[in-house]
Amino acid sequence: MAGEGDILAAMPIYPRMPADTKGKREKPNLSLPPLNDPLWTRFYMGKEDGYDLVPAYPPLPICLRLKDPFLLPPGATLEGWVFSRIEASILVNGTAIVSYPLAIPFKTLYGTPDAGVVCRFEEAEFLATAEPVMSSLNDDPRFVAHPVRLKNTSAVPVMVSELCIYGEQLSIFGQESLMISERLLFLFSSSGVRMSLDGQAPLPPGAITIAKPTVSGEERFIVRSFELFKAITRI
Amino acid sequence: MEPTTTLAEAAPQAAAPASRFWDIFPTDSLFDQMFTMDTALKLIRVSLAIVLGLIFVGLVVAILRRMTRKRMDSRTGSLVVKVAQYLGYAFIVINALDAAQVNLSALLGAAGIAGIALGFAAQTSVSNFISGIFIVSEKTFANGDVISVDGTAGLVYSIDAISVKLRTFDNQLIRIPNETLIKSKVANITRFPVRRLNMDILITYDADIERTVAILKDIAANSQNALKNPEPVFMVTGFKDSGIGLFFGVWYATSEWFDGNNAMYIAVKKRFDAEGIEFAFPTMTIYPKPVAIGDDATIPVRQPRRKKAV
Repeated sequence: MAGEGDILAAMPIYPRMPADTKGKREKPNLSLPPLNDPLWTRFYMGKEDGYDLVPAYPPLPICLRLKDPFLLPPGATLEGWVFSRIEASILVNGTAIVSYPLAIPFKTLYGTPDAGVVCRFEEAEFLATAEPVMSSLNDDPRFVAHPVRLKNTSAVPVMVSELCIYGEQLSIFGQESLMISERLLFLFSSSGVRMSLDGQAPLPPGAITIAKPTVSGEERFIVRSFELFKAITRI
Repeated sequence: MEPTTTLAEAAPQAAAPASRFWDIFPTDSLFDQMFTMDTALKLIRVSLAIVLGLIFVGLVVAILRRMTRKRMDSRTGSLVVKVAQYLGYAFIVINALDAAQVNLSALLGAAGIAGIALGFAAQTSVSNFISGIFIVSEKTFANGDVISVDGTAGLVYSIDAISVKLRTFDNQLIRIPNETLIKSKVANITRFPVRRLNMDILITYDADIERTVAILKDIAANSQNALKNPEPVFMVTGFKDSGIGLFFGVWYATSEWFDGNNAMYIAVKKRFDAEGIEFAFPTMTIYPKPVAIGDDATIPVRQPRRKKAV
């Protein structure tokens, strides 16, 4: 609990990456720096006397690199699941103050260097519901499950190696121990790939809403169109 | 005869007020010549030309303002509006003179001569102004971009009619004339979403190149800011005088390039130190010759193994 005039301080601590290739491992340093250390991020709390810690999508789009890329024949439709990492978001009176990734966030470029989008990088498997790893991932609180439908409308086979997910358009539904998003449709066409919410998918039964989308799909579309227009015209 | 005299004397007295008015404003005065019906008509025509012209220019400027607010940045928009405004004023003046039936050909001739004289005097300004139009239309950079011009790098602070102003990273305002920008090589550093960090590394000849490459790739893979895609670029640039030249390029989001630059150089130095890979630097090896003294005596000279010189 935090009250008026309190200072809320937070700092993410990640497990150390192996520093070299010789197999030496350093002991994890569990001692925290003093509170006046600039590593701590501070927020002054107003009149609200509490805050919520909820799962959220990262502020950047998520680029999932599939561990096993596959070919999608022309006209084919494939359904399955992918999992992405959530962040811990601090909300005050329903307003997101800050969110922290639960692992060191790596980045990647989705698109070309002159007009691409910088995304969070993650590696994932494309899974069918029957695969045994599904159940273990479902119980892992670090991940949110995305039911996906891939459709190739182009005339040529498409090599599916990456899927880019715009988390700001998605909700997180809690279904028992599973966190799940709306179903996503990835449409591969001759002009590129487009992510959208799959209108055909029903909401999971008995699901409760943990996180709502921060922007609507239409809003995002307008913003992206304007960004594209600005990038093209340099106005 | 008496009544006649009386009448004759009375007449000038009765006409006295009228004659005073014409004394003040005689019929052949300049005022009388100016305020003819023709002059009044001219005045009305000129007034109409000015009023209608001002309304027309005001409308055009208002429409242009609204259009440029949506489609252009504020600086470019105001430049376009100002040009339109001044052209409109010139149009009003010419129209008003035409309505006043002033001989415009003589005036325009004089204006032409004055224009030539002014053109010579304001050659640099005009050149900068025209260059400014080309800069705006080329869209090489916009307000807020970081550009580098002839070694001067900074944030584009404003794009004006005559010059572009940069705010350097040590917080100085640099004014660069538009003409200079047109003639110079301008690098827009923040145009694209990602930027590559180019590292030129020189390692000693006894270092293992393949192992060094593996280490560099591992550093990039574990760097938080370095992008996974596009993948880092590696190239052996050649056998140099002092060591083996390597090129290693790592991509970063443009906004994180600065932090990535520092983090990458620090990580490479630490890791090379830990792995025992030496950076090469210019060295000079001196082989001294023994010096003979007398017939058969030889003084051996102490031989330094290796002397390093920067």
